[in-house]
Amino acid sequence: MGVLKVFKSLVIDSLDTITKGSKKYHIWMGFLTLVMLIGMYCYSIQLDEGLSVTGMTDRVSWGLYISNFTFLVGVAAAAVMLVMPTYVLKDIDFKQAVLIGEGLAVAALIMCLAFVVADMGGPSVLWHMIPGIGVFNFPASMLTWDVIVLNGYLFINITIPLYILFRHYQGKEAKKKVYVPGAVLSVFWAVGIHLVTAFLYQGLQARPFWNNALLGPRFLASAFAAGPALIILVLAVIRSFTAFKIPDKTIKKIAMIVTVAAQINLIMLVSELFKEFYAPTHHSESAYYLFFGLHGKDALLPWIWTAIPMNVIATIILTFGKFRNKLKVLYFCCFLLFVAIWIEKGFGLIVPGFIPGPYGKIAEYLPTGIEIGVTLGIWALGAFVFTILAKTAIGIELGELRYKPK
Amino acid sequence: MKNRNLTFYLLTLVAMSLLSCKNEGEYHSITDKIEAKQKPYHGNLSSEELLADTDLITVKEGEFTFLIPERKGQIKSYACIECHSKPLEQMSNSSFDGKRAHWDIKINHASIETMDCATCHNPKNMNNLNSLTGKDIDFNLSYKLCAQCHSSQFEDWKGGAHGKKVAGWAPPRASMTCVNCHNPHNPSFDKRWPVQFNTQKVIERQEGLDGAEEH
Amino acid sequence: MSDNKKWYTLDLGLNKKKSTSSSCGCGNSQGSCTSQAQQTKEEELSADEFYERAVNAAIGDERKKDGFEQVFDVKMDRRDAFKKLTASLLIGAGAVSSCTSITKDSDSKEKAQIDWEEQFKGNYKLMTDDEKKSTVDRLMRSYELRTGKNINMSSKNAEEDVLFGYAFNISKCQGYMNCVSACVEENNQDRNSQMQYIRIHEMDDGKGFNFNEADDNYYHEVPAEGHFYMGTQCFHCDNPPCVDVCPVQATWKEEDGLVVIDYDWCVGCRYCMAACPYDGRRFNWSKPEVPENEVNKNQHYLGNRMRKKGVMEKCTFCVQRSRKGKNPACVEACPTGARIFGNLLDPKSTIRWVLENKKVFRLKEDLGTEPKFWYFMD
Repeated sequence: MGVLKVFKSLVIDSLDTITKGSKKYHIWMGFLTLVMLIGMYCYSIQLDEGLSVTGMTDRVSWGLYISNFTFLVGVAAAAVMLVMPTYVLKDIDFKQAVLIGEGLAVAALIMCLAFVVADMGGPSVLWHMIPGIGVFNFPASMLTWDVIVLNGYLFINITIPLYILFRHYQGKEAKKKVYVPGAVLSVFWAVGIHLVTAFLYQGLQARPFWNNALLGPRFLASAFAAGPALIILVLAVIRSFTAFKIPDKTIKKIAMIVTVAAQINLIMLVSELFKEFYAPTHHSESAYYLFFGLHGKDALLPWIWTAIPMNVIATIILTFGKFRNKLKVLYFCCFLLFVAIWIEKGFGLIVPGFIPGPYGKIAEYLPTGIEIGVTLGIWALGAFVFTILAKTAIGIELGELRYKPK
Repeated sequence: MKNRNLTFYLLTLVAMSLLSCKNEGEYHSITDKIEAKQKPYHGNLSSEELLADTDLITVKEGEFTFLIPERKGQIKSYACIECHSKPLEQMSNSSFDGKRAHWDIKINHASIETMDCATCHNPKNMNNLNSLTGKDIDFNLSYKLCAQCHSSQFEDWKGGAHGKKVAGWAPPRASMTCVNCHNPHNPSFDKRWPVQFNTQKVIERQEGLDGAEEH
Repeated sequence: MSDNKKWYTLDLGLNKKKSTSSSCGCGNSQGSCTSQAQQTKEEELSADEFYERAVNAAIGDERKKDGFEQVFDVKMDRRDAFKKLTASLLIGAGAVSSCTSITKDSDSKEKAQIDWEEQFKGNYKLMTDDEKKSTVDRLMRSYELRTGKNINMSSKNAEEDVLFGYAFNISKCQGYMNCVSACVEENNQDRNSQMQYIRIHEMDDGKGFNFNEADDNYYHEVPAEGHFYMGTQCFHCDNPPCVDVCPVQATWKEEDGLVVIDYDWCVGCRYCMAACPYDGRRFNWSKPEVPENEVNKNQHYLGNRMRKKGVMEKCTFCVQRSRKGKNPACVEACPTGARIFGNLLDPKSTIRWVLENKKVFRLKEDLGTEPKFWYFMD
């Protein structure tokens, strides 16, 4: 078959591209590999001794892994903000960015899945979750919904860019009829993955901190701020290190998205804070713990009080077009926003859900070195995957990679 | 037409997922469920085997009929009159040089104005207990004696809210009687140390992670 | 032998045609595998035979066909396919081990066989009674092989017309914690991490049920002046949130109302732990250990059998006891009679009298979880 032959050639060509590059590139990849190896070593310790090597306990039973998972689902979902205008609204500006965005989504999803697996007590029996050979508790368990939407989203985000790149690789135009339906689907799907992930927490009556109707929408708002913010930063790096042309106009348009999402996120934050602190009930204790500490336990204070000012400052600066249009300022704001939301939607969301516990017991959580090692390893894995994807995609888009029929 | 089909399928899908989510909604609450499904238990499980080694007697109190442990056989030197052959005054006489029994018994049950030995024991008939009105109460049915004052506990005990079962939950019901847990001469429980202490939790607290209040 | 199916296969209508060869673990249709193998000690497998069997396990009847047919042209459900794929991986391992250790005795091979079947057994909830029985037999044999001692493990199902309920008398509890220690011993809980299902909260008089300020690890003479005691454990909700959230149905509500876990089916995601409003669930953060002489050998598959690291566990109202008509260990151990256990469906049971005649309440009733664990006072 011709297609198989072309595909084989594509794989070989891309292997060729990703193994070649500047010294900086090799240092970068070498560094990522090292971090991944350290992560794997840490994970092997965790496999051997059990999750007791992490900081998690019966009282705080989810920690760094699930925090990162939650945040990264948001990053993955954010790719949609670029897909929609490019494919559906025919906005040419985004054409370059969208491949990067989808690559980012793929990397983020792979990290999500890795974090979930890292968090499992029995990774060797994960096949119990595979529909057909295991038992899939659908539709009762939101986790099964999440498995479906995440894998579906991963599939969509792999196939669409693959199709486009595959066509471009052969020097052909990608057929709109083929990829636009997929792109439209992915728009809804992206909203779906983040909403479903929010429902994972929102549906637990046991945890009043999560069991609130605003959680889902706030997930979306923060995701659509943090995700595109990361894309802007990545585009900035790609612009300065490769020949890939990304017009300022594209970046500014994405900045607009980031700004609006960040503003909505801030409004929702105010609404949440008002509810928790104007008429505090028994259920506001988690929020009290997060923002002020409870009974002298205040491990999260430095985190949240880093995140909130960063979030507010970045949003305010971004709001003014004058500042936003200066790229240096924009990058800085995007960085602030990204870190702020990582803290807020990760640590700041998951850990206080468990504190105080069901009977008001306050047991704090601090990740251990091994946990941090695994986490860094997975982030390195994500960066590694993204670098490979981006390098191949850029190669094809720049015309450096082309199928040569023999 | 096609559209209508699609809508139909979608609606069925939604309906199905909703139904499968909440197929437990048969009863509004657990009490409704209990009411709807209750029936006297005549199943396979029975406590008879577990009770086989215990001497039991059947008691009937109001609407309740159940088993309690037999008592007289457990008293070391029943019948009492084998020793209590003389009136008490003579036996407690210091000049009496026979063997002394129950010398360690100190009554710690209500105040001495309310109760003394004779409240429950009949010096004239040591083989039986003695009600407040001077009627005989069999040692096996000592709960009747307690019930004279502790009427609310008696009610709870009859129903099963006070006291313990002899063996399992399964019928027939065999409940411990008052004196199986309470020493009638000193019925309240002593203070003591808990049998369990979780040192692991202490370590966690020292690490500052577990924040239970210090007392 | 071959109709004694060892694992659950999800019937999607795909597997109407059962593959004739491997309905049990090793796939050897007339040979000795699974429960029979466990009982026939005398049968010694030589290294060659083992290899032969491994090959059989992987490809079974199909070995006469050519390579393509062996892999693709076989009518089998996905479950079988998976099993065979993994079995074929084992051939490699089996070949290596049979080359290197010819002296390996049959016991260790049987052990390997059991481990193999254990790794790929199905969800207990979906097993037939026969499958449950053979699973339990296998585990008993496994324990015997490993320790040389016998245990007794039951797979007894829920009895009809039984719904278990529990009542706790707050006025009676004195905080002695006999229940906690009886529970740990009865249920083979991890001694290293000192896992405990029951927590006794020491509350301050005059502050109501203020769990926030209660201490659940006191150590002083009890009952302490100015305090009262309240125990919590799994409440076996009638509408359990933990069951809904489990992605693999490793936890479920039995007919008699017990919320149980298949420890071997649990993937350890701890979602149920987050969903439980009552702190009823415990996780094995490391390998649970119980000294051999302290192991309670009267076990139930869903109850106090030995657990492994990375799985959830919880109070089962001592399923190994309650399904025999006994009271849970905590009820039996309580010196004050504060704990009452019984059949909610029996109008003549003492638990029913408590519910109908005492002022009972449950914790967090507003959540709609319908716990079958009531509190009351004298």
